[in-house]
Amino acid sequence: MRKMAYYKGCLASLSAKELDSATQALAPKVGIELIELESVTCCGAGDIHEAEPDYYLHLNARILAYAAAQGVDTLLTVCNVCTLNLRQANFMLLGDTDLRARVNENLVSVGVPAYEVDVDVRHLLWEIAEGEGYELLKTAAHRGLKGLKIAPFYGCQILRPSKIQGFEDPDRPWSLERIIEACGGEAIDYPAKIKCCGFPIIQAREETALGELIQPIEQAYEAGADAIVTPCPLCHLSLDAWQSKLKKATGRDFKMPILHLSQLVGVAAGLEESELKFKRHVVSVKPVLEKLEI
Amino acid sequence: MQVGLKVWRFNSRTGERELQEFEVSAPEEATLLDCLDIVKDQHDGTLAYRKSCRMMICGSCGMRMDGAAVLACKTRMYDVAQAGHVPVISAMGNLPIVKDLVVDMDPFWEKFRSVNPYLQPGYDEPPDGKEHLIRQDRMNAVHKEALCINCGCCVSECNAMESDPLFLGPQALAKGMRFVGDPRDGQKIARLEKLNGEHGIWECTRCYFCNERCPKGVDPRDAIAKLGAESMKEGIDRDMGAKHAKWFVTSAKTTGWLRETELVPKTQGVVSAIKQTRFALDLAVKGKVPPPFPPHVAKDVKESRRLHDLVRDRGRNGFDGIVQGEHALAMLAHAKGVGDETLEEIYERPGAYHRPYIDGEEIPAGSEGGMGSLTQADVTPGEKPTRKPEGGA
Repeated sequence: MRKMAYYKGCLASLSAKELDSATQALAPKVGIELIELESVTCCGAGDIHEAEPDYYLHLNARILAYAAAQGVDTLLTVCNVCTLNLRQANFMLLGDTDLRARVNENLVSVGVPAYEVDVDVRHLLWEIAEGEGYELLKTAAHRGLKGLKIAPFYGCQILRPSKIQGFEDPDRPWSLERIIEACGGEAIDYPAKIKCCGFPIIQAREETALGELIQPIEQAYEAGADAIVTPCPLCHLSLDAWQSKLKKATGRDFKMPILHLSQLVGVAAGLEESELKFKRHVVSVKPVLEKLEI
Repeated sequence: MQVGLKVWRFNSRTGERELQEFEVSAPEEATLLDCLDIVKDQHDGTLAYRKSCRMMICGSCGMRMDGAAVLACKTRMYDVAQAGHVPVISAMGNLPIVKDLVVDMDPFWEKFRSVNPYLQPGYDEPPDGKEHLIRQDRMNAVHKEALCINCGCCVSECNAMESDPLFLGPQALAKGMRFVGDPRDGQKIARLEKLNGEHGIWECTRCYFCNERCPKGVDPRDAIAKLGAESMKEGIDRDMGAKHAKWFVTSAKTTGWLRETELVPKTQGVVSAIKQTRFALDLAVKGKVPPPFPPHVAKDVKESRRLHDLVRDRGRNGFDGIVQGEHALAMLAHAKGVGDETLEEIYERPGAYHRPYIDGEEIPAGSEGGMGSLTQADVTPGEKPTRKPEGGA
């Protein structure tokens, strides 16, 4: 078992609790022991970076410091936006000793341990797409997906900016496809899989956001996908919950089930509904489960 | 070397489009632009594309290769040719095509002009009549933005502009920051007010395509964040996007976690939130609307609040808060200690992404063609224009 600090983020703590429970149940099957961090806050989701950037840096440094205090070298995330915010802050601190010293002084003055030993921020996707995690995944996914057609949806911030994320070619990503195939599904190909779901502006500019959101759903639908899978709970929320608004705006009801990455692998690994919590989805996942005879 | 190209030809008068394949013999150091020159010179003189300096300064030769915007003069073809890949070359996105690879830049220049892209001096003449000296660190704040060559590669890929063509977009907004951050400019507040308009900074969807594509390292998305931070610092925070961002700050310092349920009324106002009741109820049934009471409070959240107050009083506010991280982030894009590294080590560097097609490794289906698609040749350029859903939301 590889020990990792686990940063849930806001959504998996609150409205996407199904992501948290599926991840907790899946982790030991892919060789990861999660150490949940308690004294941590929101990463700012890009919003605090834009509103009060110095506070953003300090908040994220505090999360990194508490992860390092666990004596692990990896902070595991399950959200694209958390991953980018934490990695960006981490690189700022690792690459600038003066900045790190100033931030550490401030952390210590409010009672937070200084961020001294470096940690690496990694998304669950990267841990199970290659190496030991991938090998274990192939064994764990014994129930399989019976050739279900799954449309991978990466979302933006797991791929871009690539100089910060850097796991795979942002224009030719392969990690989700590889996982889908290892689980016994068929990966569907469509152009919008690396584009934006519109979530960051879904409240402030809903119409513009819906114009983005419709692309992956419509393209996956036309390619015959049984479901879309995403590594990001924000993408999940817009793809799942805002589908009803697409129906209102366009008259088209796609009824496209949207799965979290942990749920897709979890269902192939034989996890129970009590762990996967598909009932918490707005768009019913029933057609998928029926095809899998679950 | 032999270089294969598939080029989308387009005639705007007739609307005819055709994917035409060429193979040219080119020197190993040839760029995409060199190859197009050979096509035009030796194969088909009717091919239309823009070029001028051939050295990444003029910004004329923006176009798409496998669906991704590039400067043709910056793109070496050796690796592509060696891999036996025949890339699809097409015109940039988000701008009307005039012919083949030439787009109409008028909408681009119109947005560019709308941000008054010239200095509006706001300082007094030095009493001794000598020149004004500005500290280097003040100019560092706009160093990246000043690198822009107006090529349009960022605009080509902007996801928000695909949905709303009126969005000012990454180039105009980065140019806006270039003057907002310039200590010699006297119109900062007026500029910020304008950039906070309906189609301004708060319509950016943070897809980061602009940062990814910019051939000059401008990082337009970061420039937009700088404008947001500076707007907040100056108290320009009426836009729903600004209120949305402020609610994250309030949440982080009060409960630690995002107070999701209150986010809608805090962003859109109570009246609009009530209009969304039906939608909210549908989500509530599924547990997607966590009850605000009792609040979900992070352990030791008082540390977060004290950090906020400390940073507010002593920190680097506004765009300076983002500029301070640029030095460290810039190192991610530059090689350090080149020379003794193996290829594997180079790809292990922070910020280096996995090279596709490495060592004959299995390539999962659907991850070969660029822009995430096997079928790029069929979808370029914009057979199905992507626009807002009819009738709006």
